Amino acid sequence: MTKDFNIDDISNLASIHLEEKEKLKLQKDLEIVLEHVDALKNIDVKDEKIDIHPLSKILDLREDESTPSLSHEDAMKNSPETKDGHFVVPPSIE
Amino acid sequence: MNRNIPSISKLNNLFLDKELKPSELFEQVYENASFTESILHAHLELFHDEGLENSKKSDERFLKGESLGKLDGIPIAIKDNINVYGYKTTCSSKMLSNYVSPYDATVIGMLKETGSTFTGKTNLDEFAMGSSTENSAYGPTKNPWNPDYVPGGSSGGSAAVVSAGSAVASLGSDTGGSIRQPASFCGVVGFKPTYGTVSRFGLIAFASSLDQIGPITNTVDDARIIFDNIQGYDPKDATSIKPQYTEPKNKKLKIGIIKELMQEGVSEDSQNEVNKVTQLLENSGHEVLETSLPLTEMALSVYYLIAPAECSANLSRFDGVRFGLREPASGSYEMMNKTRAVGFGEEVKKRILLGTYALSAGYFDEYYGRALKVRSKIISDFQKAFDDFDFLISPTTPSPAFKFGEKTENPLEMYLSDLCTIPANLAGLPAISIPTGLSDNNMPLSIQLMGKPCSDYSLLDLAESIEDMVSFNHLPKITKGDNES
Repeated sequence: MTKDFNIDDISNLASIHLEEKEKLKLQKDLEIVLEHVDALKNIDVKDEKIDIHPLSKILDLREDESTPSLSHEDAMKNSPETKDGHFVVPPSIE
Repeated sequence: MNRNIPSISKLNNLFLDKELKPSELFEQVYENASFTESILHAHLELFHDEGLENSKKSDERFLKGESLGKLDGIPIAIKDNINVYGYKTTCSSKMLSNYVSPYDATVIGMLKETGSTFTGKTNLDEFAMGSSTENSAYGPTKNPWNPDYVPGGSSGGSAAVVSAGSAVASLGSDTGGSIRQPASFCGVVGFKPTYGTVSRFGLIAFASSLDQIGPITNTVDDARIIFDNIQGYDPKDATSIKPQYTEPKNKKLKIGIIKELMQEGVSEDSQNEVNKVTQLLENSGHEVLETSLPLTEMALSVYYLIAPAECSANLSRFDGVRFGLREPASGSYEMMNKTRAVGFGEEVKKRILLGTYALSAGYFDEYYGRALKVRSKIISDFQKAFDDFDFLISPTTPSPAFKFGEKTENPLEMYLSDLCTIPANLAGLPAISIPTGLSDNNMPLSIQLMGKPCSDYSLLDLAESIEDMVSFNHLPKITKGDNES
């Protein structure tokens, strides 16, 4: 199951830059965990359904009504950089 | 310092009888915190001024005979992954070192209504990922019983402050045992309520289908009082339920010992505590029998696919754009990659990578999908067990507290310390850890009880009767070493 595990591909997917030394340690640790979870393949789950809520609750949706919420200013307060009420990010297109 | 803190009910009586003022109690626990913090590092931030101010408002209410109830004037510590308006919520991560919450979590709003005061925010494993508090970006918390030992995790700070008397009670969060395991290691009570009974709104999400807020306290009754004041349906949490609490049919209870948690891999110390309590329960007229839940042995594997998968999705919000750390870079993608590289610690990265892999194209069915199906089978196993038994009993942890660095080399060694607690999270069950004894090296030992969904109050009743029978009345002796000032 672990033969295709490629730390570079996964860190790229997860948007986390890893140093070479870090890669070696994480690859080793993750292989240990993946080998352990391999035991699940021996369980017959053919007819099993998936429940997202552990109590099989059907999730309620709130009424589609406007209720008091955070102010625009409060919602932006923790941003590293803002301008004119917008989040500022470095260029996305080069 | 005076570590001997009375129960919440007794404190309330002292306030009502004008024998003690809430502000005097607040100063007492603050003094305890001031004495122990340099040794334990359990609080990340202390709220002295606001806490004292609020406790003086409690003084006034008791003076006028207008007390708000049992929690009025009770100092409670809050795990630093629960939002308190106007204060930092760091999750013990560099990623959120400057994040100041613009709102209260639902449980915080509910506690404010009760008139309780907050001592401060407590240390945890980064983003609640860990079993020892060694993963905090701000340094580990130490165990009040012996600072060479871990306090457990991830709510290690919340357990240590109660054990050390620097708060009367605390809130923790439990995704795979993060309330019960540290409570066990620190010799206090830790209660994880039924999933959905306590709102998760304002708790920084780790694994949403498993996370649950709950109390860590000195007594079972204290846990009941806090639970009573924080439970209830919350429209802001889509997984919140409208609980209909259940009672067992008979006074004479039928209790099952989970066989798979009483075998190799679980220490003799931990097994002995269960046997000791079993004997006491039988002496009181309850029936205790061994029962088998074979898939319990798969719970760790299921957990270490579902929790990382959910964590990788939940933690994708930390990208340097809307809140938290941002590392300078010339482009957006480079900025996100660098921010997440610097902001997250090793364990968090490990779980995000594991979860990303389990959810990636071509592996979803093999890993996450399969884990969800085995989880459904585990839930069915518990449902069947509760057809025969009112409650289940097991050790809380496979061993008492371990030393710092003892389990950091191999991730599985650390993960196995949640062996006994994870099943209750997977099945959404209420579960409680209560201290029952001390090991040969004077570290706390405990047992765990689990109940069917929404049996929370009757589970607490049983735990309280065991607490009475066991009479665990030991306290840690916290002394400053040569290096402490």
